[in-house]
Amino acid sequence: MSNATRLVSLRAAALGYDGVAVLHSVDLDIGAGDLIAMAGPNGAGKTTIFRTILGFIPAIAGLLTRNCALNEFGYVPQSSALDSTFPITAREVVAMGGFGRLKPYEGLPAREKQRLHGVLEQVGLAHLADRSFFSLSGGQRQRMLIARALMVGPKILILDEPLSGVDPESQKAISDLLLKLNRDEGKAIFFSSHDLRMVRSVTDKVLRVDAGKVAWEEGSVAQHPW
Amino acid sequence: MVSFMEILSPSFLLFPALLGSAILALVCPLVGAHLMLRRRVFLGLTLPQIAACGVAATFWLHHAMGFDHGSGGERLLAMAGSLVFTLVGMGLLAYLDRHATGSPEGRLAAAYALASALTILFIVFNPAGELEILNLLKGEVISLSKDELKLLALVYGIIYVGLVLFRREFLLNSFDRDLSFLLTGGSVQWSLWLYVLCGVSIAVGVIMAGPLMVFGFMVLPPLAARTLARGMGSFLSLSSIIGLITAVLGFYLSVRLDLPLGPTDVAFGCVVIFAVYAVHAMLGRGGGLAKLLIFTLVLFAGCGARQPETPLDPALLGQGPIWLASVRNGTGADLRLPGTNPLRSLGEMAGKLSPDSRPTVMDLLRGSLQREFQQRQITVSLPEERDVRLLSLPFDGVSAAANARTANLSGWLWLSEIRRWQTDGRSPLRTVVEMRLVRIDNGAVPWQRQIAKTLPLVGAVRLDEISADAVSTILREAFGS
Repeated sequence: MSNATRLVSLRAAALGYDGVAVLHSVDLDIGAGDLIAMAGPNGAGKTTIFRTILGFIPAIAGLLTRNCALNEFGYVPQSSALDSTFPITAREVVAMGGFGRLKPYEGLPAREKQRLHGVLEQVGLAHLADRSFFSLSGGQRQRMLIARALMVGPKILILDEPLSGVDPESQKAISDLLLKLNRDEGKAIFFSSHDLRMVRSVTDKVLRVDAGKVAWEEGSVAQHPW
Repeated sequence: MVSFMEILSPSFLLFPALLGSAILALVCPLVGAHLMLRRRVFLGLTLPQIAACGVAATFWLHHAMGFDHGSGGERLLAMAGSLVFTLVGMGLLAYLDRHATGSPEGRLAAAYALASALTILFIVFNPAGELEILNLLKGEVISLSKDELKLLALVYGIIYVGLVLFRREFLLNSFDRDLSFLLTGGSVQWSLWLYVLCGVSIAVGVIMAGPLMVFGFMVLPPLAARTLARGMGSFLSLSSIIGLITAVLGFYLSVRLDLPLGPTDVAFGCVVIFAVYAVHAMLGRGGGLAKLLIFTLVLFAGCGARQPETPLDPALLGQGPIWLASVRNGTGADLRLPGTNPLRSLGEMAGKLSPDSRPTVMDLLRGSLQREFQQRQITVSLPEERDVRLLSLPFDGVSAAANARTANLSGWLWLSEIRRWQTDGRSPLRTVVEMRLVRIDNGAVPWQRQIAKTLPLVGAVRLDEISADAVSTILREAFGS
């Protein structure tokens, strides 16, 4: 992979919190157009890798290189991490993705409204835009959060457990959407799951995280399982 | 009795206080809504108490350094203390949130307890300014001067503009700090700005209106709005609108029922929450604005109705002599008027005259009533001149008439009771007087009036002068002339 196409790179990195490493010797490259899954049990350190790449926590040792700005990352957290007491509509949640382009006192311009409608159409949920975000099903909320990440106009999408806690139908819809974004728009996608069988069914580039180590797993997906 | 439309008139004496309440009610709910969204609503309780502690501490220091109370600039000093303590307290709490273990709620509760205790201790250390500090901590919006109102409008105006202009950034930062970090390059700066706006609004609000009113307006309107809102935009706007409705109607109730403003606003705010929940339960989901409209119309309809005042029928007074009973003091306060005669003062100082012999507001009112009847050519007598046991009559019509009959009185009894006669020398004189005309033969009460009046202290700052003005105003209202 050339430096030009490499979006994120970790070299011999030690990752963790407050100076205590939970992952050692992490080597990872994410290039434009990559679709990478990260699998491992809960608490193995998947979210730690995401948080380091996104700059929320510093790498304890080693080298982290980003070839795109932080506001070019589309981050999709687990929807359960968001506070359900907010009386917020799905449209308002998705619109947040465009806030980085707006001046503080600026209203939502027509181009942003158009873009908002576009990403809602893209995830197939435009008809639910005015519903309360927390009244949506788990799968619908995940797709709304993906729409929010797309609203950023990202070079790379990072998704924390997008397939967990949702029904099989939603899992299929989300997987299809990720594959479509990767194939048709060339977005780099890096997502995590604790379900190894599931990630194998979406991509053949699987990074296994377990017992403080990170290692590539060779596998292949001949065809989409659904 | 004051009508709803009267309190909205700029010529109404307490209109500046209404404006002050409205400003607080517009801005505090916005601040409180953000605290609520961040699950930091107890900050809205703890910070006002820390601000109050700052006021008490500053006054204690001021006194310890040898300055006298009443030397001017107390509000400015109190505001400085309030602001410094609030910002330092907030900084400390934020530091502990980041670096300490344990529950943030526990820390807030401990901080509240400590601030409350220190406030009382600082007041105890400084008895010279105790009354003054207590007045400041009570934060009577009623006594806001024009300059203070301007300051409140300026500070809260800036806070309001800040919260509206940066609403997106504050919302994003409260809802998803990680995304805020990615899109705006740092989440801490927006948290910091939000907390600074909260701190300043609390510090200034506590001085102007007291901790209770500030906390009430921060918490109650957003709680009610939460039920009606369908999105963040409507949540924030409804919080302010409900705050404003609560402030105006609470103010009206306070004036009409002669209740202290802060507790009335807070109690009414709670009623609003229950009413909103009830309307929501009845009408189901959706249509938040429509529900608010229905709710507001119902409330205002109740306020718009003006209770008809029964005029005193002159024909009644012509039916027999009037026995003018001593005016009762129902305030529990000493209503003796200050001495105006220097010889009398010398006599009191020399112990020749007892201060108890000084005239009271009750004497003033009774004397004025007597003159009023005499001017109307109505025969008026004093019951105790017939029988000394009638020097003090109960205010209840039946009992008073029974007492009068034992002394073979006939005709009418005029009973008066002062329910409120209050000023701290700075705020307007607030009075409530109730009068009754009682038929002696059966104890019937064909006429009675409760008259509440508030008089400014402009040009007449002595209690005897302002009291004389107040008595004239009350009699004009009672006799309709």
